[in-house]
Amino acid sequence: MSLYAAAAGFGLVSASVIAIAAVGFTMQFGITNLINLAYGGIMITAAFVAYGVNRAGFSIWTGLAVAAAGGAVASLALHRVLYAPFLRRGTSHIGMVIVSLAAALMLSNVLLALVGYDNVSYVVADEAAVTAGGLILTRVQVVVIGIAVAAMLAIHALLTFTRLGKAMRATATNPTLARNCGIPTGRIIDAVWLITGALCGAAGTVAAIDSASFGVANGSTYLIVILAAAVLGGAGQPYGAMLGAVLIGEITELSAAVLSPQYKSVVAFAILVVVMILRPQGLLSKIGALGPAG
Amino acid sequence: MTASELYYLFTLAVYAGVDGMACIGLNLQFGVAGLVNFGFIIFQAAGAYAAAVLSMPPANGGFQQYVLGLRLPFPLPWLGGAVAGGLLAVPIGLLVLRRLRTDYQAISLLVLSVIANLVITNARPFLNGAAGLSLVPPPLTGLVDTTTAGYQWLYIVLTAFCLAIVLLAANRIVNSPYGRTLRAMREREPAAAALGKDLVRLKMETFVLGGVIAGLSGAILVGFIGVWAPATWLYPETIVLFAALIVGGRGNNLGALLGALLVPVGFEEATRFIPEFGPPGFIPAMQWVAIGLLIIGFLWFRPRGLLPEPRRVFAESPARGGAARVEETPRPGARGIASAVPSTPLLRADDVARRFEGLRAVDGVSLDVSPGRITGLIGPNGAGKSTLLAVLAGTLPASAGRILMDGEEVTRFPAYQRARRGLVRTFQLSSEFAQLTVLENLLVAAPAHPGDSFLGALRGKPYWWADELRLVERARELLARFRMSAAESEYAGNLSGGQKRLVEIMRALMLMPRVLLLDEPMAGVHPSIVGEIASFLEALREDGLAILMVEHELSMVERLCDPVIVMAQGQVIGRGSLSALRRQRTIVEAYLAG
Repeated sequence: MSLYAAAAGFGLVSASVIAIAAVGFTMQFGITNLINLAYGGIMITAAFVAYGVNRAGFSIWTGLAVAAAGGAVASLALHRVLYAPFLRRGTSHIGMVIVSLAAALMLSNVLLALVGYDNVSYVVADEAAVTAGGLILTRVQVVVIGIAVAAMLAIHALLTFTRLGKAMRATATNPTLARNCGIPTGRIIDAVWLITGALCGAAGTVAAIDSASFGVANGSTYLIVILAAAVLGGAGQPYGAMLGAVLIGEITELSAAVLSPQYKSVVAFAILVVVMILRPQGLLSKIGALGPAG
Repeated sequence: MTASELYYLFTLAVYAGVDGMACIGLNLQFGVAGLVNFGFIIFQAAGAYAAAVLSMPPANGGFQQYVLGLRLPFPLPWLGGAVAGGLLAVPIGLLVLRRLRTDYQAISLLVLSVIANLVITNARPFLNGAAGLSLVPPPLTGLVDTTTAGYQWLYIVLTAFCLAIVLLAANRIVNSPYGRTLRAMREREPAAAALGKDLVRLKMETFVLGGVIAGLSGAILVGFIGVWAPATWLYPETIVLFAALIVGGRGNNLGALLGALLVPVGFEEATRFIPEFGPPGFIPAMQWVAIGLLIIGFLWFRPRGLLPEPRRVFAESPARGGAARVEETPRPGARGIASAVPSTPLLRADDVARRFEGLRAVDGVSLDVSPGRITGLIGPNGAGKSTLLAVLAGTLPASAGRILMDGEEVTRFPAYQRARRGLVRTFQLSSEFAQLTVLENLLVAAPAHPGDSFLGALRGKPYWWADELRLVERARELLARFRMSAAESEYAGNLSGGQKRLVEIMRALMLMPRVLLLDEPMAGVHPSIVGEIASFLEALREDGLAILMVEHELSMVERLCDPVIVMAQGQVIGRGSLSALRRQRTIVEAYLAG
């Protein structure tokens, strides 16, 4: 059982956590064309909702479900109350980025005022180890990986096989044309915020499960890692975000094993910078970041 | 007044100067040039760290670890801080500003801001890590007693002096033709590039200048407070500066100053007087919430801020001897006559193709555009006409083929270099610079304006004012010809669709092009003006201009264009005179039916 195998195992767990979050984030961007910088704030808020449920005596998995529902509702509310009115006014892309940054700031600080600066951790019952193919993981970590795989398969099925998924893709490509074809784009966008919000809430909870303890400040760290994974894979591309999540997750954990744990995020970001120089549109995208924004 | 109250006021004054400088720097980047620098604070940090290690003694195993420690005398650390901010802007600008889309630029800079803080926090030997630097000697240590009130006054005077220089330079830039070009870039990048503006250069210059100003502000701050640590430059600090600009008025240097006084100084200081309540940390948290509310509230209720960017109106008539002197300005296109031999084509496309992910929008098109002719380009919707124009002008790169301008291959040249060689396009969709006046829209396009460069702008108004007056007259002649004089000082964004088209044509003509690519120049224009445009185009043709025009109105094509090129599905399916084309059945079926 080498150090590197252990690191690869941790990397797999990190990748799972990042994948759930990054796919939600990148779908918001890909379909609604909006970079929602409040995503990290909603994640950490959802993690605290799960904490409340957990503290009330329920299992963490119940907490996860409540947090996912909370994330869905909060994201839809954010869209309806804040983003949609600004969009109706014809606010520019960059204006929307600034609005979402302000929203992120407000959200995390309201949370801070409510729960304070202290770090907390969940009560997780079962810590038995599972050995598989040279990797040692706890039961909880295996469940986290399972949730991620299930979520990815569900997203794939949604986008490929369902009418809703096809309508989402049509809306992403050309909202005006989609509306003219009889697709109720307003309801589709609402559905996008609900689904991605659920991913966001679930991701916040599994991220908190994955770390020994967590606090409000983790929200912005999550956001940066998600941005890295999404941009790495090609923003707006769900499969790109999955790839980006695996790369970021494994690279951070392996570099922590090789170098020092302090630098694990720095290494991931260094790779992001190299990708931005060599392939600014991301790994899996043909257009993405290039060219003028609308 | 007690000593501590006095010290508090001194501190407030220095902070006001530092924040004022930072806001002016960010205003140049964000308010004027449209660069959303979410990493602004790292340039201030670079200046602060540089000034600190330049003025501190060598570390030599003391309780702090850091590089350099040169003990340089004032004002070298301040200059060093400014240089450090500017130097840091070079690699970051080259990384972020060249190819990325605006919203990606913003996100990348935000990420870079967080990474930079992480690296400095973890790398202790470099700048003492998370603990940061302390005991930074104030300027002039050893020469004067730095503990007296007199020294505090001196510090304020020095800060005010730097602020005055920064404000002077920023005003010169904002009020110059160069500043106008920056604003045009902010409004619509592709259109600015099509008018010969080198966007990467403009962005880099603004980025470095903002970096220098940020660096200087950091140097001044660290000299006063004597400490600098990663916790002082976390990324939300940049958001405070953005809030200041949004409240004060972006694009307006005085608005930036007002915003600095209201938000970072006034707002954050005012909350000190709120009695402490709630759990610890409650008030700072609520302060951040309030900053967020300020941003959103102003963007919703007063998006242009308390002191909006002024609309620039030129004096009714330049100070000259009345109407006596009516100068015969060169007609647009005059540049073309001398150099071009009438029979050879000026612009040539050779088997040019443009593909979008498998779709062949332009599929092997060859054509010549000759001087003294208006070449028509017609075809059904989706034939690839506009894409072809974009590829010829360099707005989109060609996937294959060659493009020659006056015998020189320009296939790999970016749009602005083609424009500078006299190849100018207009856009199918309105592409006015919305928050520039009509007259400014025209003036932006003027080539080789001495005030339209960074250094030219810094030299001040006397250096470029004579050229400006000459150009204003030329622009006014064009406006009169197109019956747009009355709208001269309107924001172009407030015009009707047809008027926007006219602005765009006039703008292209200001550039004195040799080849003009027009994309449906008459669409949406008032019928009485259509005839005017047509006769103007005829005049340009007589002057020897080479024109390629996409047009749907066949009567207009018949009047103006010979030869006519017909495109369908990315390919040329016919060329010749319109009357000859009408006799070919395949073409009639493809397009001319009816």
